[in-house]
Amino acid sequence: MLRYIFKRLLIAIPLIFGVLTLTFFIIRLAPGDPAAFFIQPGISPNVAEQIRAQYGLNDPLPVQYVKWLGNVLQGDFGRSFSRAQQPVVEVIASALPITITIALLTLVANFTFGILIGIISAVRQNSLIDRLLTVTALFFYSMPEFWFALMMIILFALKFPLFPTSGLNEIGAEGFGPLGFVLDRIWHLILPVTVLSINGAAGIARYVRGSMLEVIRQDYIRTARAKGLPENLVIFRHALRNALLPVITIMGSSLPFIFSGALFIEVIFAFPGMGRVTVEAIFSRDYPLIIANTFISGSLIVLGNLFADVLYAVADPRIKL
Amino acid sequence: MIEQGKWFSPPGSSLYSLFLLTVLMALSSCGVKSGGDSKARTAMDSTLVIAMLGDADYLNPVLGSTVTSSNIIGLVYPSLLQSEFDTETGLMNYIALEKKLRKTTSGQAQKTPKGAIARSWSFSADHKTLTYTLRNDAFWNDGKPVVSGDFKFTYRLYGNPVVASARQQYLAELVGADKGQVDFDKAIETPNPATLVFRFYKPVPEHLALFHTSLTPLPAHRWKNVKPEEFRNAPLNITPLGAGPYLLKSWKQQQELVLASSPKSTLPKPGNIPLITFRVVPDYTVRLTQLQTGAVDVVENIKPEDFTALLKENSGIDVKTVGLRVYDYVGWSNIDQKEYHKSGKVIPHPLFGSARVRLALTSAIDRESIIDGYLKEYGVICNTDISPSLKWAYNERLTPHGFDAARATALLKAEGWLPGSDGILQKQGRRFSFVLYTNSGNARRNYASVIIQQNLRSIGIECKLDVQESNVFFENLHQRKLDAWMAGWAIGLEIDPLDVWGSDLNKSRFNFTGYQNPRLDQLCELAKQKMDPTGAKPYWLEYQEILHRDQPVTFLYWMKETQGFSKRIEGEELNIAGSFYNIDDWRLRPSANIAQ
Repeated sequence: MLRYIFKRLLIAIPLIFGVLTLTFFIIRLAPGDPAAFFIQPGISPNVAEQIRAQYGLNDPLPVQYVKWLGNVLQGDFGRSFSRAQQPVVEVIASALPITITIALLTLVANFTFGILIGIISAVRQNSLIDRLLTVTALFFYSMPEFWFALMMIILFALKFPLFPTSGLNEIGAEGFGPLGFVLDRIWHLILPVTVLSINGAAGIARYVRGSMLEVIRQDYIRTARAKGLPENLVIFRHALRNALLPVITIMGSSLPFIFSGALFIEVIFAFPGMGRVTVEAIFSRDYPLIIANTFISGSLIVLGNLFADVLYAVADPRIKL
Repeated sequence: MIEQGKWFSPPGSSLYSLFLLTVLMALSSCGVKSGGDSKARTAMDSTLVIAMLGDADYLNPVLGSTVTSSNIIGLVYPSLLQSEFDTETGLMNYIALEKKLRKTTSGQAQKTPKGAIARSWSFSADHKTLTYTLRNDAFWNDGKPVVSGDFKFTYRLYGNPVVASARQQYLAELVGADKGQVDFDKAIETPNPATLVFRFYKPVPEHLALFHTSLTPLPAHRWKNVKPEEFRNAPLNITPLGAGPYLLKSWKQQQELVLASSPKSTLPKPGNIPLITFRVVPDYTVRLTQLQTGAVDVVENIKPEDFTALLKENSGIDVKTVGLRVYDYVGWSNIDQKEYHKSGKVIPHPLFGSARVRLALTSAIDRESIIDGYLKEYGVICNTDISPSLKWAYNERLTPHGFDAARATALLKAEGWLPGSDGILQKQGRRFSFVLYTNSGNARRNYASVIIQQNLRSIGIECKLDVQESNVFFENLHQRKLDAWMAGWAIGLEIDPLDVWGSDLNKSRFNFTGYQNPRLDQLCELAKQKMDPTGAKPYWLEYQEILHRDQPVTFLYWMKETQGFSKRIEGEELNIAGSFYNIDDWRLRPSANIAQ
């Protein structure tokens, strides 16, 4: 298996460089100018030109590419245009922990609730509770996240002020002490994580239900029951393990999401995470930041797929890598 | 089929949900507590929270370009002069400790001049030399005095092409600028630490000389070892050393920036409010909700449609307006842009080339109903780009072209545009059909564009709407690729419209319409030569008459800028020059006394 992983990683390197090269050229072909902000009345026409010179945008495209490639190979992704020349690596380093916190919490909640609801729906197929759960899940699944988030804010922050509207901490939270600070942070994370996980759990529940229904009808489940095993054991040890195989694929593909961030949620709840960094970079044509973000999400998609394949082999001994 | 479900229950499911509920309740109650306990309340009582759309970039006056940056720079750094906008006359006033450019009109809020570094100034009779005398009791936060050398040092940076400051235009009249390079040794002299002399290569009106020489200084002793090419990356950009009423306490980028009252400041004094927090809240609805819940105290640019709900929901909020500086317009390409790009020849646009057609378009658009439907009392019909707030120059005799579809039809008929078989006007086989472009994400312009489309359809003009991503839209506009578009301008407080209307299309970068009128160029030049701005009044009156007659664009409406304030703030004064213009004088009422 190690050989397989190594081979896949080796193939991934040219793939990711291909993606980066494409991004490099496509983003420069797109209309819009990183110095556009400086083209306005009252600002000397020279400024935009000077800014472009500073960013190295006046060189011919192939020269820019070679320079960029040289830097990237040395691990230097450059400095952000739109964020006061902060090194791109620093921008990402400050945004990543926030995104990872939200995403990990969300993923755990997603899978816990999704799998639980899926099992209940499948085991009690066609019962009132199954229908209720199915309808509710579809209701939340089809709801746009940004709208749902705004409704939650209006309901739980404005009408019933139980949670804060946005931000990561209260004003003056530093004075609450370490425990108070952490509790305050969690209190700020409840609404966004709820919004994200309700939406995601609903999707996963649908998957689990479908796959569970298929497994429950298999002969070996009947055999297990015939042996007189308790139902809980039948469901959790025999049925669930098999039913979760397709869910592993979703788990693998969720990895990029952890790092690329939940854009709407980050904008609405004013979290300075990766989603916001990426979108703001695109709008301001911040080339170095866009490319670095592409690098991260590209690598993660590759890794996520590899991770899912490996997990498959671990969960199902029939699959040989 | 086996009935498996009936006796199934996930292990401890009820226990689990009970646990979850308890955790949730514990957390929410702890949150409410932490928001409401005395510690947090004391924190709130001493902290003013301002919600901002975006973060600051550089905390450096030479480079800072975002709104948040300029708000913060204004509080942290010293300024040579204080300035205020006189609402009685519409003129800017510049104030030193012992001298004012103009007498303040009675009833006008009087900005305390104590924050100015300049004690006084003298202006030579030939309007070419401006000499400031500086006070000797102003100090940077590290205790070093603020001296004339700081200003000269910083002006060199403003003018350095490697630094690429957006404010280098301010140096355009200094000695040497006419030859392409400011000669700093001659243009700015510092005979002693308290004297600062600026020399211009041509006579400059006094108000402009004051305006252009009052750029914010940096502490030379702190910055002198930073090379120009390192300037933008210098760590000092995020740890500013200032001298103003506030100093930077902490900055979590993209989250919040906290300023603390600077205890030793003499410019003019330590700020009244101990802490000012600028919070980045990108989403408008959330900013509004935070104002309602009291999580923030100031939210700028509230949309008119939200006022009623906002005031009904929370009586502790005040909505204040200031204006008029911002207007929307529909731009018509006056020239055939395709031909201009191809051969450089200027020929009239086949649809919008005639002033009569453009007047017809303006008459066909029901601007009142856009204002009534969207802006309500916060909008005013716009005749030209000289704001009614600039009272000294505004032409009150102009009557707005009212909504009159019959007049529009008659004007178009006179130009040869007659209805075709499909109901759309035609002239020499060409249908009157075009695309009206606007940028995405602007609800007001979307609203207006639909009304405009309907208005034009009713007189037989086909107007298709297209919304473009902002970057793409503005690039197309700058390259003069659009035939018709809707956009807006925020005007400067000194009138200088040549960039927008100048006939030299290469030089006038913002003349997107291609409108050319030599008399207009002449009027702008004549006005510039007047050493007293009010002397240029007749030129500006004629200027407005010409724009009103030629309708190079259809001016739609002026908008008041509307800001939401918590009533716990006292002493705030809005000024067209900025919402936070006297923020160092604001006070916070303790939370116990806030009227609910």
